[in-house]
Amino acid sequence: MTADRIRRSLGARLAAPAALVGAVALTGLVVFGTGTAQAETTTTAGSTSAYEGPVTTSTNLAGGTTRTTPTTSATSLTTPTAYGAGTNAVAQPAVATALPSAEAAARYEAPSNQDGLYYRDLPDAYIAPGQALYASNCASCHGTQANGKEGVAPNLLGLGAGTVDFWVSTGRMPLANTSAQATRKPPRFNRTQTLQIAAYVQSLTPGQGTKVPVVNTASADLEAGGELFTLNCAACHTISGAGDMLAQGAYAPSLHLATSTQIVEAIRSGPGNMPHFGPGNIPDTEARDIAAYVVKVLQHPQDSGGYGLGGIGPVGEGFVGLLIGVGALMAICFWIGDRS
Amino acid sequence: MIDKSLRWIDDRLGIAKGGRTFLDKIFPDHWSFMLGEIALYSFILLLATGVFLSLYYVPSAHEIVYHGTYVPLQGQRVSEAYASSVSLSFDVRTGLLMRQAHHWAADIFLGSIAVHMARVFFTGAFRKPREFNWLVGVSMLILGIVNGFLGYSLPDDLVSGTGIRIAFSIIESIPVVGSYLGFFLFGGNYPGSGVIIPRFFTIHVLIVPALIVGLLAAHLGLLVKQKHTQFPGKGRTEKNVVGTPMFPTFIAKTTGFLFMSTAVTFLLGGFAQINPVWQFGQYQPYQISYAVQPDWYMGWLDGALRIMPSWEWVGWGHTLPLMVFLPAVVFPGLIFTILMAWPFIETAWTKDREYHNLLDRPRDRPKRTAAGAAMLTLLLMVFFASSTDVLANFFQLPLEAVLWFFRFVVPLSPIVAYYLTYKICVEMREAGEDVGERKRALVVKRTAEGEYITEPSLPRPGDGHVELDAIPLPTFIDTAGPELATPGGVRRVIR
Repeated sequence: MTADRIRRSLGARLAAPAALVGAVALTGLVVFGTGTAQAETTTTAGSTSAYEGPVTTSTNLAGGTTRTTPTTSATSLTTPTAYGAGTNAVAQPAVATALPSAEAAARYEAPSNQDGLYYRDLPDAYIAPGQALYASNCASCHGTQANGKEGVAPNLLGLGAGTVDFWVSTGRMPLANTSAQATRKPPRFNRTQTLQIAAYVQSLTPGQGTKVPVVNTASADLEAGGELFTLNCAACHTISGAGDMLAQGAYAPSLHLATSTQIVEAIRSGPGNMPHFGPGNIPDTEARDIAAYVVKVLQHPQDSGGYGLGGIGPVGEGFVGLLIGVGALMAICFWIGDRS
Repeated sequence: MIDKSLRWIDDRLGIAKGGRTFLDKIFPDHWSFMLGEIALYSFILLLATGVFLSLYYVPSAHEIVYHGTYVPLQGQRVSEAYASSVSLSFDVRTGLLMRQAHHWAADIFLGSIAVHMARVFFTGAFRKPREFNWLVGVSMLILGIVNGFLGYSLPDDLVSGTGIRIAFSIIESIPVVGSYLGFFLFGGNYPGSGVIIPRFFTIHVLIVPALIVGLLAAHLGLLVKQKHTQFPGKGRTEKNVVGTPMFPTFIAKTTGFLFMSTAVTFLLGGFAQINPVWQFGQYQPYQISYAVQPDWYMGWLDGALRIMPSWEWVGWGHTLPLMVFLPAVVFPGLIFTILMAWPFIETAWTKDREYHNLLDRPRDRPKRTAAGAAMLTLLLMVFFASSTDVLANFFQLPLEAVLWFFRFVVPLSPIVAYYLTYKICVEMREAGEDVGERKRALVVKRTAEGEYITEPSLPRPGDGHVELDAIPLPTFIDTAGPELATPGGVRRVIR
């Protein structure tokens, strides 16, 4: 009888506040939890990405060797893991977060890749299929000569393969809508197709613009990368790389999905509102360090202390502190206190 | 044994009389009366965790090379303050839990003060004779905000360093004395001569906590002396206190509540990350991160700064930066003055000079309730304005649109809130006394003659307030102890 009454009164009186606090708390966790870089720390030693890793493949390409067998080339160039469904977990290649040992560093010290970053020429065989892809996917806005249309789409001549690769591989092109800024989305083309389009646009103005970089982050200096990131990038992309809104509808996007190649391409080409940093401003080694810091530290933080609350700082923390902290304690007051 | 030792102490110190009074102290029971206890217990937690942190934290701006376990920082030149904060998080056992619990406790401390204060305000508990306690409470709120800011600054990371930079500019914006004050505090022009971290440390761990402890003692002492207020109800008058005694009822409840507050704080400390300073890096005056906000209790100051148009006044060889001075000095000054002076403003308005031990229902004082709602709305809107960038990013709106939205909403929303609250209160008051009481069902019955009649159903259990018999408090020390009919029974004290 008494136990029953206690249970009933507890249920009836606590249901409303408990449901309210619970619902608000869940909403908060969902709202501030999306896009968090709360991935598990990967401890795999060395890069497993075919695109970033093997120096032997890269050396051939760096020499400008024209591949006569595009299929072989495509296999060695494709990173199936890196361009997946576009989710955080799938899109990132497994990378090491620990500092590479001296042994590992020596392994990557190939003569052609002293800086961990070089720019390659795309094979001529890519140009023809690239032209076809360009004609069916890009020409309607950028024009058949890739010289753009006034008020519709910019001139692509002279931008280089790296710029095209950035825009297409991040899914920003083809454009989803005409908002103030193109948004990142799952790319329409696979790695080979993307590079084919890039090769075609590059072939219109040979030697000009940004080339496609090959980034080897294995021997990167993460400490230097961190300092350079804070100095050059954090003012817009925020210190955690979460991104934030800028003036007039433009925004600095989150870096939590970016690959090291895309980061270097963005540094060198300056897409949208982002400033363009030349090699005199940020040398290749430093660009590689920044890319390594983003990919290895920001995307896979050596993190402690529980749920990251979206990495947006005191806004999320205040939300949780007030609604979950004070809210839960108020619910407890309501529970143990008299309510008449 | 216990009896013997207590008697031994009593023979020397005479604690029995005071102890009896304390144990018999009557606390009116209502859930909203416990909100202040959240603040009390989070303050205790702040002291406890803070002592732990101070054992490891090094308050020094001296630069060293970091060689801890956090890999991305290794080899960087950082201040000892920052290095020790990071090593507290990674190398000291339970260090991160303590750090995070300390930070969450600070957020909860100030949040519960705000909620407690709202309860006191809306129920009129600040009226004569309790104006002093209101002043003491507001002082603790201000000290809490100041100390929160100082503590937030101590790790010397990029985000908090930005806050110190803003603080320096705010001090500088004060006419005439500003630059002298800033130079005095920082030991020179910004960033100063490396004295700011040790100075903040001393203020944070020594001066302000000592002040808060003193004020807290005064707050509780006044509460004991003036006795707690109570809501009007059966058997409750201006001259008595109806509630449960300190021992055994209230002490069990409040001790349990201490444990629950501790649990909530440490659960947050363990599961929700707060202020991950290792991600931010050492503060350098030439570096900045976007999306930097202060902790929530400073948010309303930051928000006012953000939405202020960039006005300044130049004349007689001096510049008065109104865009900083007005929102960051005048605005909070005005708010705190209104808070402090409210009991006296209200007395001047109502000409009410009576003692008040019974609380108001908010609806019965529509103008006060509306004024409080307007103030809360104003502060809430300025608070939201401090996250313009995050809101713009979340809703995918241009930053300027959000800024201009707040420039209109901040001055307009209090007016709307005042009007709406006033109307609601008046409406509720006119609705009558039985509003909110459980309705009695009407039962339609058919008599033997075929006549239909309606009659109210029998009262259900719990309908109507059942008052327990009061137990008179003994006026002398009786060795047998008071007759406790039922533990937790209601007793009546004659004031």
